[in-house]
Amino acid sequence: MRILISTFREGDLEKLTLAMRRLPYDKLVILGTAPDTGSTSLSTVRMLEEMAGHEVEVDELDDEDFLTLVDEVSAVLSKHSLDPETNKRNSIALNISGGSKLLGDASLFAAFRMGIETYHCENRVTKLPVIRGATARDRFTPMQLELIRAIGRGQVVYDNIVRLMGPASKQATDRLIRELKKQGILGSEFRANRIFVFLTDTGREVLNAIRLAERTESR
Amino acid sequence: MVVIFGTLGYRPKSLIPTIRSTPNVEKVVFYYGIDHADKEASSKVPEARKSVIDYCKNMKIAVDPVELPDVYDFKNIAMRIRNDIRKHKREGKEIAVFNIAGGTKPTSSAALLACILEGVPTVYVHDRTYEEIHLPLLRMEYNEVLSKEEQEILRTLSKNRSKDLTEVELASLLNKHKATVNHHIKNLISKGAVRLEKHNEDARKKIVRIEESAELLLGDDL
Repeated sequence: MRILISTFREGDLEKLTLAMRRLPYDKLVILGTAPDTGSTSLSTVRMLEEMAGHEVEVDELDDEDFLTLVDEVSAVLSKHSLDPETNKRNSIALNISGGSKLLGDASLFAAFRMGIETYHCENRVTKLPVIRGATARDRFTPMQLELIRAIGRGQVVYDNIVRLMGPASKQATDRLIRELKKQGILGSEFRANRIFVFLTDTGREVLNAIRLAERTESR
Repeated sequence: MVVIFGTLGYRPKSLIPTIRSTPNVEKVVFYYGIDHADKEASSKVPEARKSVIDYCKNMKIAVDPVELPDVYDFKNIAMRIRNDIRKHKREGKEIAVFNIAGGTKPTSSAALLACILEGVPTVYVHDRTYEEIHLPLLRMEYNEVLSKEEQEILRTLSKNRSKDLTEVELASLLNKHKATVNHHIKNLISKGAVRLEKHNEDARKKIVRIEESAELLLGDDL
């Protein structure tokens, strides 16, 4: 199934109808915050879709915090990635031209996180350079991904990492830690005579991408 | 030299906190433009521009205000910003951060895109609290998602943009077997980087076209 997911707020009818005309879809999903999901413009969109024999799905988001919004948009993209009836992968096109600036940017961020085809529809349709299916996870080797998963969201004592990464040798684990520290994925600190290793903000973003991809694949 | 980039709309307070909080800033480059459909923009944007310039002058920081001719032209804004970032990098300047909080929505999103493609640290400033939020961006590097052969095909297609190249013609240009080229084209289609179009004169033939987005991704490296 082809799904068009579009950010939206009151006054964005023109941008949305441009996307609806230019991007073929079977189902329309609107992303917006509470005041916008009850707007007059949205009623018009519902009416247009009803005329075509379809319903509009509206996902309400919390517009307070950028990274929360990124997670919320990612969750919506993940939810629609598979057709629950046929268990086949849906083809998703995301239009980020509607809604607030915060929502548009968060949606673009989520699109790169999940490798979703993305467009900006305003006066003209611009396809954005998100490579379909390519996510942060693709940039790491299986061993690097295992280390990122092993560390997770907490701080892990270095000796425990070596144990968690077994049967990989201590030297191999050291090399992985060095590589990921160089890429800004890991940080470390010396405290109470022990070395603690943790994921940086970017590392946590990679962990999010790994978990989202795994969740989508396991469905 | 430490440089800060930013986008600016009505509110200088969305950019100035980043100048304040970044150590050793020597230059500020900011993008602004007037939305002529917005009545307030013609007075408020120049006021915001003046405030940022005054702040920088008082702080003895060099400032480069860049006026965007069309604040809704997503693609050209993204390309302009990306080229400027690359120019600064080539000159050995350190881009400390890009503040994407100000300006129109297409301007801010285009700046975010350029930051993702160039791996520039990015901040957002909260609308009400003016708190800086650092975005955990990972650089999107096309050599990690496209094979060498795929990159070569995209470069060739881009250079021959005006020509209607079929897969066979492309294979001949690249000096590769048509089955090999066909395999890579299929991969590039599945990644959304190229598309096939019907040939105007011969319905049996298909023309291979590079997507505009792939050119945005590859940037000057083409």
